[in-house]
Amino acid sequence: MSIDIKELQDLIAREKNAEEEVRKAKEQAQAILKQAREKAEAALGAIESDPTWEKVKQAGNDEIARKKAEIQENHNRNSSSLEKVAQQNLEKAIARLFEETLRGKL
Amino acid sequence: MSLQALQSEIERKAQQEAASILETARVEAEKILAEANAKAANLRDERTKAIRREIDAKEKAELAIARMDRKGDLLQVKSGWTKRVFEEVEKRVTKMAENGGREYDELLANLILEGVTKMNGSKFIVETNPRDKEAISHLLGTITERASKAKNDKITLHLETLPTRTLGGAVVSTEDRLQYFNNTLEARLAAASQKLEGTIRQILFEPGDANE
Repeated sequence: MSIDIKELQDLIAREKNAEEEVRKAKEQAQAILKQAREKAEAALGAIESDPTWEKVKQAGNDEIARKKAEIQENHNRNSSSLEKVAQQNLEKAIARLFEETLRGKL
Repeated sequence: MSLQALQSEIERKAQQEAASILETARVEAEKILAEANAKAANLRDERTKAIRREIDAKEKAELAIARMDRKGDLLQVKSGWTKRVFEEVEKRVTKMAENGGREYDELLANLILEGVTKMNGSKFIVETNPRDKEAISHLLGTITERASKAKNDKITLHLETLPTRTLGGAVVSTEDRLQYFNNTLEARLAAASQKLEGTIRQILFEPGDANE
C-alpha cells in the first residue's frame, strides 16, 4: 500500500480527532460522576436539615401536652367528686371520731 | 486494508471507546446515586426511630411526673379533709368540756375510772384542770366507790390540779407516780385520731356512704 503525504496527514488528523473524541468522552464521564457524587452528598446532607424532624418532634410534644391536659382534666373531675363525697360524709366521720374519743374503755 | 478502511476503523474505534467510557460513567453514576439513596433511606429510618424513642422516653417521664403530681394533689385534698375532721372534733370536744353538765361529768368519771382500772395499786392521784377539778370534787365519792367495786379493793383517790393546760379529762397516776395513765381529752383525741385515721378516710371518701 502506498500512501502519499496528503493522505498521511489526513490520517493523522483523523487520529487526532479520534483522540479528541475520546478525551471529550472522558471529560464528560468525569462530569457525570461529579454530578452523581454531588447529588449523593446533597441527598445525605439534606437528612440533617430536613424540617420533617422538627415537625415530628413538635407533633410528639403536642401529643404529650394533650395527654397531660387529659390527666389534669381527669384529676379535676376526681378531685371535684372527692370533695363532694367528703362533704356528704363529713358529719358521719366527725361523729365516728367524736364517739371514739369519748368512749370509755372500762 | 485500504486507507479509507483504516480511517473508518480509527473513527469507529474512537466512537466505540467514547461510548464505552460514557456508558461506564453512567452505570457508575447510577450506582453512586442508588447507594446514596439507600444510605439516606437507612439514615432517615434510624433518625425517625431515634426521634420516636426520644419522644417516647420524654412522654413516659413527663406523664409519670404529671400522674404522680396529681396523685399528690389528691392525697393533699384527702389529708385536708381528714385534718378538718380532727379539728372539728377537737372543737366539739372543747365545747363539750367547756359547757360541762351531767354528760361531761359522767365522761370525766369514766376517764378516771379507766385510768384507775388500767394500773395496779389502790392509791391514785387524779390530776385535772381547775374547772374539771371543781366538777369532780362533787363526784369523788361516787367515783371512788365505783373504782373500789371495779377493782374489788378499797381505792383512794387524791385530786390535784394539772400544772399544764388541758382541754379536759384527767391524768391518773399511782401514788408513787411511777405509773400514769394520760386520759386528757387531747390524749384521747390524739389516740383516737391515730387509731381511726384509716377509718375516717374510708368514711369520708367512700361514695354513697353519706346516708348509711
